[in-house]
Amino acid sequence: MEILFFGVKMKVRIKVKGIVQGVGFRPFVYRIAKKNNLKGYVKNMGNYVEILIEGKKEDIRNFINDLKNKKPPLSRIDKLDIEEIKGIEEFDDFYIIKSENAKDEEEGTIPADVAICDDCLKEMLDKNDRRYRYPFIACTNCGPRFTIVEKLPYDRENTSMRDFPLCEKCLEEYKNPLDRRFHAQATCCPICGPKVFLSDGKEIIAEKDEAIRETVKLLEEGHILAIKGIGGTHLACKVGEDDVVLELRKRLGRPTQPFAVMSKIEYTELFAEFDEDEKNALLSLRRPIVVLKKSQDYDKYFSKYVSNLDTIGVMFPYSGLHYLLFDKEIAYVMTSANLPGLPMVKDNDEILKKLNGIADYFLLHNRRIVNRCDDSVVKKVADRLVFLRRSRGFAPEPVKVNINNNKNILCVGAELNSTACIVKRDKFYLTQYIGNTSKYETFCYLRDAINNILRLTNTNKIDAIVCDLHPQFNSTKLAEELSEKFGAEIFRVQHHFAHAYSLLGDNNYFDDAIILSLDGVGYGLDGNIWGGEVLLFKDGKMERVGHLEEQYQLGGDLATKYPLRMLLSILYKAIGEEAFDFIKRYNFFSEKELRLLKFQLEKKLNCPITTSTGRVLDAVSALLGICFEKTYDGEPSIRLEPVANRFKGDINIEPKIKNNILNTTELIYKSYEMLLNNENKEKIAHFAHIYIADGLFEIAKKISNKFGINTIGITGGVSYNKIITERIMNNAKREGFNFIYHQRVPNGDGGISFGQGVAYILKNGY
Amino acid sequence: MKITRMHGAGGKVMQELIKDVILKNLEITSVNGGIGLESLDDSATIPIGDKEIVFTVDGHTVKPIFFPGGDIGRLAVSGTVNDLAVMGAKPLALSLSLIIPEGFNLEDLEKIVKSINETSKEAEVAIITGDTKVSDGVDDIIISTAGIGIVDRGKAIRDCNVQEGDAIIVSGNIGEHGLAILLSREGFDFETNIKSDVAPINKLIERVLEEGIQINAMKDPTRGGLADALNEMAEKSNIGITIFEDKIPISDEVQSICDILGLDPLTIANEGKVVMAVKKEDAERCLEILREHPLGKNAEIIGYATKEHKGVIIETIVGRRIVDMPIGDPIPRVC
Repeated sequence: MEILFFGVKMKVRIKVKGIVQGVGFRPFVYRIAKKNNLKGYVKNMGNYVEILIEGKKEDIRNFINDLKNKKPPLSRIDKLDIEEIKGIEEFDDFYIIKSENAKDEEEGTIPADVAICDDCLKEMLDKNDRRYRYPFIACTNCGPRFTIVEKLPYDRENTSMRDFPLCEKCLEEYKNPLDRRFHAQATCCPICGPKVFLSDGKEIIAEKDEAIRETVKLLEEGHILAIKGIGGTHLACKVGEDDVVLELRKRLGRPTQPFAVMSKIEYTELFAEFDEDEKNALLSLRRPIVVLKKSQDYDKYFSKYVSNLDTIGVMFPYSGLHYLLFDKEIAYVMTSANLPGLPMVKDNDEILKKLNGIADYFLLHNRRIVNRCDDSVVKKVADRLVFLRRSRGFAPEPVKVNINNNKNILCVGAELNSTACIVKRDKFYLTQYIGNTSKYETFCYLRDAINNILRLTNTNKIDAIVCDLHPQFNSTKLAEELSEKFGAEIFRVQHHFAHAYSLLGDNNYFDDAIILSLDGVGYGLDGNIWGGEVLLFKDGKMERVGHLEEQYQLGGDLATKYPLRMLLSILYKAIGEEAFDFIKRYNFFSEKELRLLKFQLEKKLNCPITTSTGRVLDAVSALLGICFEKTYDGEPSIRLEPVANRFKGDINIEPKIKNNILNTTELIYKSYEMLLNNENKEKIAHFAHIYIADGLFEIAKKISNKFGINTIGITGGVSYNKIITERIMNNAKREGFNFIYHQRVPNGDGGISFGQGVAYILKNGY
Repeated sequence: MKITRMHGAGGKVMQELIKDVILKNLEITSVNGGIGLESLDDSATIPIGDKEIVFTVDGHTVKPIFFPGGDIGRLAVSGTVNDLAVMGAKPLALSLSLIIPEGFNLEDLEKIVKSINETSKEAEVAIITGDTKVSDGVDDIIISTAGIGIVDRGKAIRDCNVQEGDAIIVSGNIGEHGLAILLSREGFDFETNIKSDVAPINKLIERVLEEGIQINAMKDPTRGGLADALNEMAEKSNIGITIFEDKIPISDEVQSICDILGLDPLTIANEGKVVMAVKKEDAERCLEILREHPLGKNAEIIGYATKEHKGVIIETIVGRRIVDMPIGDPIPRVC
């Protein structure tokens, strides 16, 4: 509304909505109010900040300009409600008033955790500073947020920092509006703050800075340490020694999955290549793991067992504690402390118990981690960074979508690499990364994360709950439970449709489009397993208009775990019983197994039908001898990609398509022939990728032309594959199409819950 | 919508059929305060004086009708006797109704009736009435059996009374019947030694009851296997059940074949097993008693009942997993 200026003095109330919690917004307001000679107050209302000011109109105008133009770097103003108030002068100064919980359903939230800032880092390394080498150093502009907050509003007493009353000096800083720790909710110092200690599993062997120094020494000696950090616990060890890395792999039951490493900018240049975008991500306040290409000198510094791909995931230290770990070593393996599929451990007792036998020593501290939060992971594909995992540094900040919605919608996601999502108006609040909810502990974590995000977004009413079609997903059962609890309707969205809607919402694009939705498994509308889908979004509706050829998944999920089964199944279709003779060459199955598999294939016993793209790539991976057992999600396909990347050349490919179905038996048969003709593996791998990309693009193009659509997009877990995605992108651009891809939301199943929300709104809006 | 094989496979699809089509449309479903149809227990009861008549019926179709370890006749008698026995009842008598397709081999019929005779003698249960029909509308023989047993009033053992802390006991190796049928139907049985476990277990259960063991709940894990039985018991009792993978009795051969075919033995049918929820203090003694009987020699305590969670959870070497109510054929879920 417009301010009506009359008289010399006036009073104005302002409501500020956006990212205004835990970003130093109130001290900022205090400073500019004082600077502009205004009286009144600023008050944190939980999901917005309320400001009341009295003073001269010119000063008020200047204040509002400062509010818009000089706001703190981490904050964001989404909306300013400015209202003139009548009344006499009632304030003699400007105050910060104690927080209050808003009573209405106004949305609002706290920002994600922030990496240590340069100012704090400088202080921490200054021998003369009272916080010298103090690992929990923080200020208004940096430090934990989401991981320590219990409820809104974001004030110290509502976080686990309330366990640490401020000492005299810290309180002085906290109260001084001109100090950079003014109302820094996570501030503390060696006297009053959390403390680290080192345990050998039985007793405490060192405390405070001595614990950190001893930790560094132990790491440098080749030990495996559990390090409790900000949002959870990592397992850390040296990167350069085979023995040490292999020991960690053995203890964790993680035989091949690449480990992420922590390093610094000056060291990373030694072993990895990165461009400006990747460098900016590494150094950003959010500090994600960035998947980088290994450099030529990588092998000089790293054991080959850290990563068996042509990439290495790198993150920079994001807290004082992590910076203090670096002395002689250029990098450390820094991997989440959890067994496969289970949540990361976060409590001291839990850490000592569950990591017993895995870690040699434990660097712990006494600050509670309220909300565990795995590291985020990003990778550059199609000229941009996309999320493999959107978690620390990003959750629970909302993704804003240009869409009309007046309902509170809870979306529970799928099953693997899961997240949940709360939608309020046009804001989509994704939880942190949850993981594999078929595991009971992870399922409980999903439930807790949902309860938590409901509380943090001040959500008391749920109008609808959205889930996957798969009848056995635990998230689906949770949706049914919550539907009864909230009296909300339940709505099911097909998995690949959800991926497609996620892509639309991510791009704020809701016109007609052809979307390639590609992954490993999703329950189809026909009761089969889908994963290689060409979807038409037209007039607000999603329809399957093409797909990969249906193949039998020999033994169901066993064909995902053992890709030779998938190869056998497809080859059997192409060359009959001869396929069994060929498969014997791999010496993987016993004679009895082969007889039983033949029986199984002939009778179609537990041989569900799939159009999955992942299963076809897996079969190629097995054919080329690259991977015979999946030990982590997507492994066969992920390990196939670097082999394909090594091929430099052109291949003439004519994908076989009929009725908008891409023939994958032909793909496998041609690859098999190339192998028998002693063509090199790199060429065959490359051929397989291009066959899929060009084949699907051909179908998409045909349908686009038929309906006069000029937008083509790609989504789903397979769209992390650079070869396929960039091939499709280049094909699309060359043909004059608008190409859409992900940016703000994970391509894979971490984005399903977001897509479920978009689907619900669009389907109910039309 | 048409009936599919899934509707008869045990598990959710069948349960929905029963609840939405059958239960919804029948109004008078119990007698004199006894256990009625809506309980969906293994049998129903009719209180008379200080006793309750326990009553059940079963329709048997199986392909093939002769399979390793048994045949449709043995299956019919055992199935009905077992439904009475797991209610804690003493089986007294059976009826026998045969629907025989025109052209059916007379020697096969005689073989089946002899098998019925042997099994009824083994169970010590009389066949006191029956019916025979010849039809040109069925492909293979169908046998329907009803049975009555007797139990003291109020003493019937339900499947809805699992108590916190109860030990969960299964009487022997799981998965044998369903797998034997599957391999036999599809022509692979010559390569394995897997035989159906089909057998009347009333004498086994009788031994436990005679010793004064407190069985709070009991069920025979037939279609849908142990997974179905445990989920039903947990849900009806409003309690959780935790089981331990390494405690579940299963033969090496069944495990091996399931591992190759990608089947979960927990969901595969048994026709000669019982699962019990036994008061914790009686559990070890119960196990001893079961193991003394040939049909219980591989009995194990596989878990316990708990209020800490709902549903059924299995502890494995790689963590805890929720055991689903089976829905028929397995659906892939790993990406």
